[in-house]
Amino acid sequence: MNALPRKAWLFLILVSINGLATAGDSGQAREWLERMSAAMSQMSYQGTFVYVRDGEVETMRITHVTDDSGIRERLYSVSGPHREVIRDRKGVRCVLRDTASVFEDQVVASSYFPDLPLSVIDNNNVGYRLQTGGQARIAGHTARRVTISPADNFRYGYDFWLEENTGLLLKWKLIDADHQTIAKLMFTDFAIGSAVNMSELESDSQPTDFVEMKTFSQKNTVVTGSHPRWQPARLPPGFQLASHSHTTGDGGIYEHTVYSDGLAAVSVYVEQQGAETAVNPGESKLGTNNAFTRRQGTLQITVIGEVPAVTVKAIANEMARSVAAQ
Amino acid sequence: MSKESLEHLSGLMDGELSREAGSFLTRRLFSDEAICEKWERYHLIRDCIRQPGSKQLVTGLSIKLSKALDAEGAPTSTASWARAWLKPISGLAIAASVAVVAIMVTAPQAGRSPGEGDTAIASPANQPFVSPNTVGSPVSQAASFGSSQQGNSNRLNAYLLRHNQMARTAGRQGFISFVPIVATATPSSAEATEDITETSVSGPELETAENK
Repeated sequence: MNALPRKAWLFLILVSINGLATAGDSGQAREWLERMSAAMSQMSYQGTFVYVRDGEVETMRITHVTDDSGIRERLYSVSGPHREVIRDRKGVRCVLRDTASVFEDQVVASSYFPDLPLSVIDNNNVGYRLQTGGQARIAGHTARRVTISPADNFRYGYDFWLEENTGLLLKWKLIDADHQTIAKLMFTDFAIGSAVNMSELESDSQPTDFVEMKTFSQKNTVVTGSHPRWQPARLPPGFQLASHSHTTGDGGIYEHTVYSDGLAAVSVYVEQQGAETAVNPGESKLGTNNAFTRRQGTLQITVIGEVPAVTVKAIANEMARSVAAQ
Repeated sequence: MSKESLEHLSGLMDGELSREAGSFLTRRLFSDEAICEKWERYHLIRDCIRQPGSKQLVTGLSIKLSKALDAEGAPTSTASWARAWLKPISGLAIAASVAVVAIMVTAPQAGRSPGEGDTAIASPANQPFVSPNTVGSPVSQAASFGSSQQGNSNRLNAYLLRHNQMARTAGRQGFISFVPIVATATPSSAEATEDITETSVSGPELETAENK
């Protein structure tokens, strides 16, 4: 064997070693994410965390209990105006005392939202890279770092620090394609299982004091596996239709579609324009969520999701094409 | 600590501080232990008034915050000697892989004329669909604020609430997706004007729109 083939063999071996190492790390990261997914819904936990976004710091408290009564969860602000979200088997209730509003949304049958395997988010077509990192000590617990890096500007990435034994989330960072932090959340105290104080599930808010607004009528809304009436002609790479619901009967036009790449999700709402449905056209920002609204004929199109502004804007423009074409 | 600082701190808690002053004070909260302790104490007082016995919620927050932030910069590394040994080799292999990929990408493809179907998908700038003004002819329409702001906020919150229920993915686990609702007082509207338009139905762009 002369020198050249020997070098070629060495090169191939090195490439293979690197490939195997990367694949192994990615597989490990997937396992951690699966553990996190199960733990976050099936375990009981409680803690205070700090949420930092745009230079603003807010302190919040979460109590999540899973028992025979199903999942009960209460999230509320400790600093700033009192705002809270309560989730239970009846649905989601959102109390915003600063705006004197209460929102209610019944439980949505999300069974049509496919459980996209985590493998779909780790390939070249979609554009995420999964990695496991080192350990850190957070809120008195040992945590393992898992990083999901976006490969393009159409989606955000995440940094998770997961509790070593359970996979519960102790720290979370939302990052852009340049690895700049957009928002982060970190627990300062954290209790698991029997250490959870159940009394904190009780809200001291009096819904009667607020203006109550039910969200979209569930009576006439059906979740369906059929194709939506309007679809964007093109989507960012990796995104696909994940679920679709629409109104039936004379309830006016309402269509809600969700597109996902397995990690990020974007909702598209098409509704008849009206006083109740009116949203200012253009870009809006709700925390880390971007929204873009435009009007097409008598319809209003709003695209919303925890993705960069360019993504919601592009999809809204494509939807407008689709609406206009009919 | 000056009286002015305390007044600013109190204003920040009550949401009465201007955005610029709030940002400045927030930065100080990270670096100035005294002001951080004061912040904690104010919250403790308020929480005790609001909900007796809630002391454990905030006690030691400043210490925990500062420790946590200190620790953030230096996570405990578990990289083994094997990983350290593999690192230069991996680097070499990656470089080699890139070289191979570069050759594959730049190799001419038979039967194709230059530019045909060459639309790259690597960045938004090259995305065929990312063109803010592609739907018809835009008609300028200023974003409306003021009295409609609340309705705008309510509808967007309702959209977000439904979105959170429908779209549970690996990146949006459980309560995380609801944190922006608790954290955000009102959605901020951008100053975009060129695209907040009602578009004509019969623009030439629409006729050439391809269906997927």
